[in-house]
Amino acid sequence: MLKLLVRYLNLMVLTIFALVLLSFFLPFLFPGDTLTNISGIVAQSAEQRAALEGVYQLDKSVFHQFAFYIESLITGNWGISLSDRANLYDDIQLAFPATLELVAYALFVSIVIGIPLGFLSGLKNHNPADFSVVTFSIVGYSFPVFWLALIFITIFCLQLEWLPLSGRIDLLFDVPVNTGFILIDIALSDISNKYDAYLDALRHLILPTASVAIVTTALFIRFTRRSIMDVMKKDYIVAAKSRGFTQSQIFFKHAFKNALLPILPMLALQVSTLITNVMIIETIFSWPGVGRWLIQAIYQQDYPAIRIGMLIVSLFVMSLTITIEFITRAIDPARERAESATI
Amino acid sequence: MQRFSLYQEEYHPSPLINVWLEFKRSHIALAGFILLVVFLIIAILAPILAPYDPQLQNTNAILLPPVWEPNGTVGHLLGTDSLGRDVFSRLLYGSRTTFGSSLLIVVISVFIGVGLGALAGVLSGVRSSVVNHLLDSIMSIPTLLIAIVIVAIMGTGLFNAMLAITLALIPQFVHQTRTFVRSELQKDYVLLDRLDGASSMRIFTHSILPGMVELIVVQATIALSVAILDISALGFLNLAAQDPSIELGQTLSQGLEVAYVAPWLIILPGLFIFLMVLSVNVVGEGLRSALRNRLQH
Repeated sequence: MLKLLVRYLNLMVLTIFALVLLSFFLPFLFPGDTLTNISGIVAQSAEQRAALEGVYQLDKSVFHQFAFYIESLITGNWGISLSDRANLYDDIQLAFPATLELVAYALFVSIVIGIPLGFLSGLKNHNPADFSVVTFSIVGYSFPVFWLALIFITIFCLQLEWLPLSGRIDLLFDVPVNTGFILIDIALSDISNKYDAYLDALRHLILPTASVAIVTTALFIRFTRRSIMDVMKKDYIVAAKSRGFTQSQIFFKHAFKNALLPILPMLALQVSTLITNVMIIETIFSWPGVGRWLIQAIYQQDYPAIRIGMLIVSLFVMSLTITIEFITRAIDPARERAESATI
Repeated sequence: MQRFSLYQEEYHPSPLINVWLEFKRSHIALAGFILLVVFLIIAILAPILAPYDPQLQNTNAILLPPVWEPNGTVGHLLGTDSLGRDVFSRLLYGSRTTFGSSLLIVVISVFIGVGLGALAGVLSGVRSSVVNHLLDSIMSIPTLLIAIVIVAIMGTGLFNAMLAITLALIPQFVHQTRTFVRSELQKDYVLLDRLDGASSMRIFTHSILPGMVELIVVQATIALSVAILDISALGFLNLAAQDPSIELGQTLSQGLEVAYVAPWLIILPGLFIFLMVLSVNVVGEGLRSALRNRLQH
């Protein structure tokens, strides 16, 4: 166990180092002036240029520069945006929880809906219920998310006018930012009409969450269905049947947990799809998350922002994946590695 | 004609025929296959099939609705866009770019991925561990992030987007190949080859690769659907194909400007992408169950 922990910690540290190294070299690869790409300031005169080079240690060796980069990353001195001079650290601190929130709700919805449906269709194999669930799942993960979101907008926002089109909450509700998670922020705040604020925030949440969750749910259904079908063919299930256990006893005592085990590593493989979808959905619904922020940055060629945003998002995805892999190995030591897709 | 038969079966279908016979049994899979062939034909023959030049701006017929609407005309089957360009022709050309480039991406990633995977499978010790961990890490970086970095360095364009998606797709082929090669290397027939004096290269190409083709094909269908979705998503975000070239996601995002008056301009391109991905997924699913069941009948 300890050995495993050390191994995964080692992996984590190595990956983080590789990512930091990559992001360190990015400003040299970006077009334009390297100094501007690093500092976010266009030097107006030779003196200012020399001063900036001194601050960012560009006049020293690469190793000095790298050490300075790591130091400024740790101290939260992430530079300023090229386009609006905002402090990048503050920007990301605001945007990142919004993304996390969307990811968390979408994952929650997909797990709550997808896994039971997958069990249902895997157990009742080849009957109409199974057929319709499988159809839903194949259709579900064939949707381009941006198109799905646009259709939702057309139907629910423009035609029926049931749901709001963009943002996280109506501007009328002046919710102070504490944690960055809108639902928690409302709970912590002392505004008078909390109930209305909750309702409004939830109404804003429905469409973005649904757009992301449909695709993810479809994937969960597939994984669960496949997994439970494989488990039900195993010898120990046959043995349990021959001993006269009822179907529900077999399912809850023997099949359920074993079928859940392979789903976790599948989740690790899907994190990257999930994040990509969330980033696109954020752009469409003007959700103030890190995905929209990054895509705005690329439109404005805001290189300091791209560098830091890319580093933070990939660090997040990477550590999430490695953590999931570690948990998988820890609860199921028999498993060799995260087995690749037998979907 | 009566003929002498030693075996129970009349004839012995090859594995490929076996798969096809099994695949054919599912009508849905067959329908998906036909749809896929239609898209393939569109991809190859778009210039012949398209009734108009996709760039031709007919200013007399701007924002014409599709033919089933009261105001539509047969002249423009699916209507025209905000510049009076024929939507049907644009969709055909767009499908060509989207489908063709996705196919190219998958073929390239299969070649690179299988090559690297074979190498990683044969390697052992520290080198293999480094290769594997590195690949596993790259696998989890979202495609969109890779694309953003590549676009930031090299600028927007279809080629750069294709490069980003290829980079994102390669690791999964490496992973699959490596796992497969590792498990096959333990088996006796490989040992036999080795005792005959075959080199690692020869063992891979002559003994392991033939058994792996099916696995790769199934993985490639998954990769193809991912590639189509990704390239159209990047097109939608204006990070991939730029204006003179036509791509479905990019067409959709152009339709967004007039979505209020002309909703078909966002519905139709999306429908094409959806049908494309659906047909690939249905065929992939049919192929998978055909491979699984072919020996049971």
